Amino acid sequence: MSDHDDHGGNAKYWIVFLCLCGLTSCSFLTFFEWWNDSVPKLVSQFFMMAVSCAKALLVMLFFMHLKWEANWKWVLTVPCGIMGIFLLCMLMPDVLYRTAKYSAERRIHAPFAVVESADHHAAEPAKSVGH
Amino acid sequence: MSDHHDENHGHGHIELEYQPALLINNGKLCLWLFLSTEIMFFAGLIGAYVVLRFGVPSGSWPTPHDVHLSEPTGAFNTFVLICSSLAVVLGLEAAKANRSAQAKSWLWITFLLGCLFLGVKMYEYSGKFAHGIYPTAGHSRMYDKPDMYYVSALKKQLEELERKLNPPPAPVKKGEEAKEKAPLSDEAKKDLATIAILRDGLVLWSAKTAGLEENPIEAQAIIDSLAYAVQHSHENHREHDRLSAEQIELNATVPATQAKIEALQASEGEASEIVGLQAELKTDTARLAAVDLLLSNNAELLHHGINHVEPQLALPFVLPSGNMWASTYFLLTGFHALHVIVGLIIFAVVLPRELNSSKANYIENAGLYWHFVDLVWIFLFPILYLF
Repeated sequence: MSDHDDHGGNAKYWIVFLCLCGLTSCSFLTFFEWWNDSVPKLVSQFFMMAVSCAKALLVMLFFMHLKWEANWKWVLTVPCGIMGIFLLCMLMPDVLYRTAKYSAERRIHAPFAVVESADHHAAEPAKSVGH
Repeated sequence: MSDHHDENHGHGHIELEYQPALLINNGKLCLWLFLSTEIMFFAGLIGAYVVLRFGVPSGSWPTPHDVHLSEPTGAFNTFVLICSSLAVVLGLEAAKANRSAQAKSWLWITFLLGCLFLGVKMYEYSGKFAHGIYPTAGHSRMYDKPDMYYVSALKKQLEELERKLNPPPAPVKKGEEAKEKAPLSDEAKKDLATIAILRDGLVLWSAKTAGLEENPIEAQAIIDSLAYAVQHSHENHREHDRLSAEQIELNATVPATQAKIEALQASEGEASEIVGLQAELKTDTARLAAVDLLLSNNAELLHHGINHVEPQLALPFVLPSGNMWASTYFLLTGFHALHVIVGLIIFAVVLPRELNSSKANYIENAGLYWHFVDLVWIFLFPILYLF
């Protein structure tokens, strides 16, 4: 069993709760137009994932008591964490090269993009089927 | 080990004592092992989503607005799960301190918040279903691209609606009198008129014109225009200008053709020419009626889309990568919702009992599972609602 009882009362949970609410509000910033206008999309996505990782860390450390658990926690969490990250890394080439190596047939059957018009007031589907 | 110990008892052998490898109880160890597999399970699902989401041609993945996803609703559900996670840890602390009533209150709050999460999810799902967004092809009204399959689906839907509003008379059996059809309501008559205009002047006209068009880019533009009129996420002012020009042209062409037919009939001209002109007049009249309908009331139908102004028609619509989005969205949130339901069952089992320190291990394990469910949602919320 963990020995977290010695590490303060319930106040720490309330503080973590407030931090989680604050972080959720932070990731929700991306909902607003002014944020999207001033922050590049890639930076915004990276920011959202960073906020999610911070929230996940808080939940694991305090709510799941990993902060106060003995060293056994590494035996279980590190291998599956590595496997999870490894899996995502292995999928990266599929993400990066999927459209770069489209076959002609695949491209014909792919959904086509909505292209923003030059005046930014209108948009219309791309006219050519096969790009 | 204990058998070995018993067999050799009293023979001067070393007494062996069981030492657990990890300093946690078996239940917690099993739960952590289970959670390890769950991490990889959800990593696989999220990985598949990432590949599909970022692997599509740029700009062709639906935005949350396109698929009627509400970011505030997602944020609210995140808040609900965070509150429920807090309630679980407070319940655990109360149980450890033998404050049974308090522990029970916190777990009831967790349970109710879990139900609220599922309620919000059901509301979200019903919204998707109402807009024809389903994970299965049989029910979904989404098409990835405007093509002949899409035109065919539009035609089928309009014909089905027509049959539904004005069913053909039932076959009369021998010896029975034909039943008189009930008169149609004014609303049904209006809907039938709209359906006829859309079918002849929009769908059938587009299919015919695109089929006869030699230039494939022009043919595609005709089908694109049809898909735009049904539903669109971005307004295209050029479409309004193009249809206005077509309306002016048709307003000049239709009376001219009419006059030509009358002149040919008066001079007893060639019958085949008259028939050809009559077919042309029929097509142009149907098209003009459709263009007039789209541009009426300050082009309300064209600006908002037929599906928005006339939702009862429930026409198939084009949304690039829409079906892929629906598959991944329902798969990820569906599996997460299943985990929430399992968590609620785990809490429901223990809620009627006395929640003192003897139940602390159970609550701790249930809590660990619940926090994991919360963790998964922490990652699902941004990638599904905000990316």
